[in-house]
Amino acid sequence: MARVTGRPNIVLLSLMLAALLAWWGLPSVSVAPNRIVSGSAYLAPEVAGVGLAALACLPMVAVMGLAWRPSRTRLAMALALVVLMLTALPLWLSLAALRLIDPTSPGARMGIGPGPWVLLFVLLLALIELRTRLGLSRRLGWGLLAVPLGSLGVCLMRWLSPLALWQEYQGRREAFESALGEHLLLVGVAVGVSLVIGVLVALAMRRWPAAQRAGFGVLNFLQTIPSIALFGLLLAPLAWLSSEVAWLAALGVSGIGWAPALLALVGYSLLPMVRNTYVALEGVDPTVIDAARGMGMSHGQVFRQVRLPLALPVILEGIRITTVQAIGLTAVAALIGAGGLGTFIFQGLGQAAMDLVLLGALPILFMALGVDAVLGALGERLRPGGTP
Amino acid sequence: MIELIRVSKRFGAETAVDDISLRVEKGELCVLVGTSGCGKSTTLRMINRLIEHSDGEIHLDGQPVRTFREETLRRRIGYAIQSTGLFPHWTVARNIGLVPRLLEWPVTRIQARVEELMNLLGLPQEEFADKYPSQLSGGQAQRVGVARALAADPEILLMDEPFGALDPITRETLQEELRALQARLHKTIVFVTHDMDEALRLADRLVVMHQGRIVQQGRPIDLLRAPADAFVESLLGGEDRGLKEAALLPVSERMRPLRASQGHAQERIAQHASLREALSVMLWRHAERLIVIDEDDRPVGELSLRRLVRARDDE
Repeated sequence: MARVTGRPNIVLLSLMLAALLAWWGLPSVSVAPNRIVSGSAYLAPEVAGVGLAALACLPMVAVMGLAWRPSRTRLAMALALVVLMLTALPLWLSLAALRLIDPTSPGARMGIGPGPWVLLFVLLLALIELRTRLGLSRRLGWGLLAVPLGSLGVCLMRWLSPLALWQEYQGRREAFESALGEHLLLVGVAVGVSLVIGVLVALAMRRWPAAQRAGFGVLNFLQTIPSIALFGLLLAPLAWLSSEVAWLAALGVSGIGWAPALLALVGYSLLPMVRNTYVALEGVDPTVIDAARGMGMSHGQVFRQVRLPLALPVILEGIRITTVQAIGLTAVAALIGAGGLGTFIFQGLGQAAMDLVLLGALPILFMALGVDAVLGALGERLRPGGTP
Repeated sequence: MIELIRVSKRFGAETAVDDISLRVEKGELCVLVGTSGCGKSTTLRMINRLIEHSDGEIHLDGQPVRTFREETLRRRIGYAIQSTGLFPHWTVARNIGLVPRLLEWPVTRIQARVEELMNLLGLPQEEFADKYPSQLSGGQAQRVGVARALAADPEILLMDEPFGALDPITRETLQEELRALQARLHKTIVFVTHDMDEALRLADRLVVMHQGRIVQQGRPIDLLRAPADAFVESLLGGEDRGLKEAALLPVSERMRPLRASQGHAQERIAQHASLREALSVMLWRHAERLIVIDEDDRPVGELSLRRLVRARDDE
């Protein structure tokens, strides 16, 4: 049980100090009459007046007070206040939209300034700190986030239509959905293919130890090629292949597009996959294997009933690392026309439209975080011996 | 019955086991003892063919082990090792039921057998059946290891330093339990250890190995009284041998009938206690004479210090 009471909680104090500074010092929103011109920034008091802005500081100060002499009850109250602030954040943006956007000019849009982003980050850190201090389960932590997410959903539907990010999404709804689909498909197929190949390669390395050094050498080398270079290197051979082999061309294989992207993704995914699978299978306690054989299990039984189940959590760890890496790399694949969410990032960079970049980058971020959390939890669950 | 006839094992140019012959009778507990690297574990593992012997023959009840399929052979032989080798992802009950399941016993028979073994080894079913090995203490885990080795009721049990990783007290408890178990079950056991005290305590037949060869074998008491060479003597503890021998002999062997006239010796000792314990009581209590009592606390004889230390030749 973590010690709750006693000395001031320095983490919470500094986080709330950072929140206060961000609230007063950093622009809350920026407003532009249309997509082309860059907007003008507004600080919090400029959005809603000094009185309201100061009122919004109260919960931050209150959390600092509670953190000064923490007890379990006080920390629980602080947790409630943090969730409240997270919930209020979209409402604040809605208020800004109502106040600053002229409803008669349809092109006007509002960007989220650095203030709310920093605030979001700081508040999430505070949430994690409080969750661990209070010893709450991870699941409950996620559950608490449902309230702010609900508030965000409602605000997006009702008041936040001038939000630039939202407008970018509204303007590209279909493109966004298909890009998301392409992204997921590329990642899924790349991870699936590299899992199959990776396990086979790892098994081969165990069978023929001589192949092990050469194998890891090749995979390490693949990993060091910069991704854009690898896409470029694949361009010529694939273009040649598709012009020579008719059925490949019919499948859609060409020098650009999904084929080189998939090849490169698989290439990058193989090293973590093979390494984890190999280490996992080799790392099983030799006395357990000795006992299994001594009891009269056949080689197949030892592998299926003992070695593989004991290696599974580490193999899963490999899948997790590979998937998170592939989600990021697939963004780059947009450069060679493979589609995916990277398309928005590069379009946005080209047009200096940061909100369009965010439209591509944010889902990638959430996807990676989601996969990381889900596969991480699954791996924990599969640890031998269950939960002690 | 296990018989090794002129068995050798070479790993490349190295000879791990060099031309040994050994016969373990049915129901006998045979302990292979020696320093590490003397070939005792290799010898054990050649019996269930985890290591294949290079020369000679190994027979099980008169049948060469090579005539069995490896898996079939091993399922007939119980196997317990140091650090238990329990499967960490299986519960205690499932671990114990491993070999019966490999032999495709019906589920109800496996359950009954697992329950029987858990009772036999003092692991209450309700408390331990669903635990995982990581939740057990060292002694409990080793009990599960022994139960697993006994699961399919094998004639033969191979034990490779099974108590090597335990603390001294737990080790002694388990040694006692193994002796009690053996008194009931009469298995043919080959037991490997480097701990001479453990070897002397458990062995019906003691086999001392050195550099891949058998230097001496026989009853523990015979080895203590007549070690074949300086190596065996040093392994048996040199000057400490007197106490080791005393530990092997029961009080009843040296006591004589109680003489009513000298009735004032008050310190008592059980007749099945060892002479070593008797000596310890005398030293501690400053007594030169002990009353020997039976299981019902009735005096049955007496033991004097003079008789205790008397040379064997006078017996």
